[in-house]
Amino acid sequence: MAQHTLEVIVENSPGVLARVAGLFSRRAYNIERLSVGPTDNPETSKMDIVVNLEGHALEQVIAQLDKLINVIAIKEIVPNSAVPIVHDTQPDYQN
Amino acid sequence: MSQMNGASSLVASLEAAGVDVMFGIPGGAILPAYDPIFSSSIRHILVRHEQGAGHAATGYAQVTGRVGVCIATSGPGATNLVTPLADAAMDSVPVVAITGQVPSVAIGTDAFQEADIRGITMPFAKHNYLITDPADIPRAIAEAFHIASTGRPGPVLVDIAKDALQKMTEFKYPASVSLKGYQPKLAPDAQSITDAADLIAQSSKPVFYVGGGVIKANASRELMELAQLLGAPVVTTLMARGAFPDSHPLNLGMPGMHGTVAAVTALQKSDLLITLGARFDDRVTGKLSSFAVHAKVIHADVDPAEIGKNRFADVAVLGDLKHTIAALIPAVKVALGKNRPDLTAWLRQMNSLKATYPLGYDVPKDGSLAPQYVIERLGKISGPQTIFAAGVGQHQMWASQFVSYENPRTWLNSGGLGTMGYAVPAAMGAKVGAPDTTVWAIDGDGCFQMTNQELTTCALNNIPIKVAIINNESLGMVRQWQTLFYEGRYSNTSLESKRIPNFPMLAEAMGCVGLSCDRPEDVDATIEKAMSINDQPVVVDFRVTRDAMVWPMVAAGASNDDILIARETAPDWDSQEL
Repeated sequence: MAQHTLEVIVENSPGVLARVAGLFSRRAYNIERLSVGPTDNPETSKMDIVVNLEGHALEQVIAQLDKLINVIAIKEIVPNSAVPIVHDTQPDYQN
Repeated sequence: MSQMNGASSLVASLEAAGVDVMFGIPGGAILPAYDPIFSSSIRHILVRHEQGAGHAATGYAQVTGRVGVCIATSGPGATNLVTPLADAAMDSVPVVAITGQVPSVAIGTDAFQEADIRGITMPFAKHNYLITDPADIPRAIAEAFHIASTGRPGPVLVDIAKDALQKMTEFKYPASVSLKGYQPKLAPDAQSITDAADLIAQSSKPVFYVGGGVIKANASRELMELAQLLGAPVVTTLMARGAFPDSHPLNLGMPGMHGTVAAVTALQKSDLLITLGARFDDRVTGKLSSFAVHAKVIHADVDPAEIGKNRFADVAVLGDLKHTIAALIPAVKVALGKNRPDLTAWLRQMNSLKATYPLGYDVPKDGSLAPQYVIERLGKISGPQTIFAAGVGQHQMWASQFVSYENPRTWLNSGGLGTMGYAVPAAMGAKVGAPDTTVWAIDGDGCFQMTNQELTTCALNNIPIKVAIINNESLGMVRQWQTLFYEGRYSNTSLESKRIPNFPMLAEAMGCVGLSCDRPEDVDATIEKAMSINDQPVVVDFRVTRDAMVWPMVAAGASNDDILIARETAPDWDSQEL
């Protein structure tokens, strides 16, 4: 199964990592790798989440992640592609 | 802008959010908030258990369409709210819970009455907050009400540290709420509406699969117009009872594990499920791989994560259902103008099933009381404006099956979480939200023993609900499964112990009128007597046979094709033209 990387922009507020990790746990999905770091905007953080999921399961994870109020935008980094798929429903988002 | 402490800011924020009533119990950490509550315009109803406050908030919200509010202290007060908040999440009910938290310096020290309620509710709450700065209170409250009531409704918890309630702050309620990560979609894309209409105009066996979302979106009128326009059969899930009138000839009843033969078969044999605010729950689909295998699916929902979660959607329509159905009506008119399939054969088949396999029950030969008869009479005598709230189990299924629901927001139950004990406190909240309407809780004797303490609250606060205990002296649904799947080994399902407790006496002790009935010939007079008492809660102990079972039934994990109308009895499919 191909690994996919989700680049998730979240609000930089307490408990957000627990929300994201908890969602994966509750919906019975695995996180392969996770890193969290700052962005240029001090109000947001960026999570890079590597998952061993594709197709329907990947779509579900993205849809469920997007429901978290603190998740602002999700980009899917497609392997061997320079252009990310943007699952961003928030037009005002500035990275 | 004015200076006040965080507690006053909280209460002022709740007033600004339009709260007129809340259900709760004070305690140490939330105590500062109870001082301004004392002089607030908000009616605070002092419940007897926090679980009751949560379900009451849910009942209030389900009946009024407004946000229900409950309030509790830290630790056990907060954890007692967990069940009703999980319940509200599963049934998409807009509820805001306010909890006190230990002082911010004590958080993380295992202080007295400390529980991480934000962490505990994180997996199911739509959102939650931990507030330690009083300046954040108005924004958190405004956001909580916005999040709870928009999009797919759900519970939001605001946990506030005690010192944040005590410190001085400036009160400024935000004029509007804008959340970068939360912008629920109202209007569906035009293309999705056209695609849906085109599919509808190609279908010769369409069925409206209607879920609770139609009620949440107040879209019953739009649904009626669309259903009549197409002339296709309608099934209403457990959460959607009342979204479309039961008396309407197109209504085939409830689908699912205990659905009607016609409703279950309509989904199974359909070539197009017009899914409106439903979520392909396992209790509806049965074995998913054999569910409606010939059907294409239009899935209209406000929650993008529901689309394709359990069943692939050929056309996804994302948006508020009131907008969606309103947009579908003209689009379907246009599509049908080009091509109108003949639904006559399909309707004839479904009406034949409806006529051949109506809901029914056996009258006990020993003269004892059939629970279904009691519930049927309750529905008939109290009429279609009455609000019914059920617990969970056999009585819940019978209350869904044998009461005719004609109006939305008249049927309350715990559909998703299956919370025994829901009925009495939910009925209490419903009656507070609709004081001029008759509210009946239809409860089991097992359920009733979990939350009946709220009858004291009802008696003392002029909330005259009526409770029908369908008393079969057992945990009836579990017993039914033991009968069917465990060779009648009734492990721990008998509640029988010489009529202990004595429910009418218990009711009287809580300031209610207690009645009992154990003969079919007394049912009408007993219900009428209960209906005549409107200044006090009434509890009727209907002592019914314990051997009644809920039919039809699709066993858990079985295919809907294997629906049984009685024990080891399948419908006579050969005689049906399908």
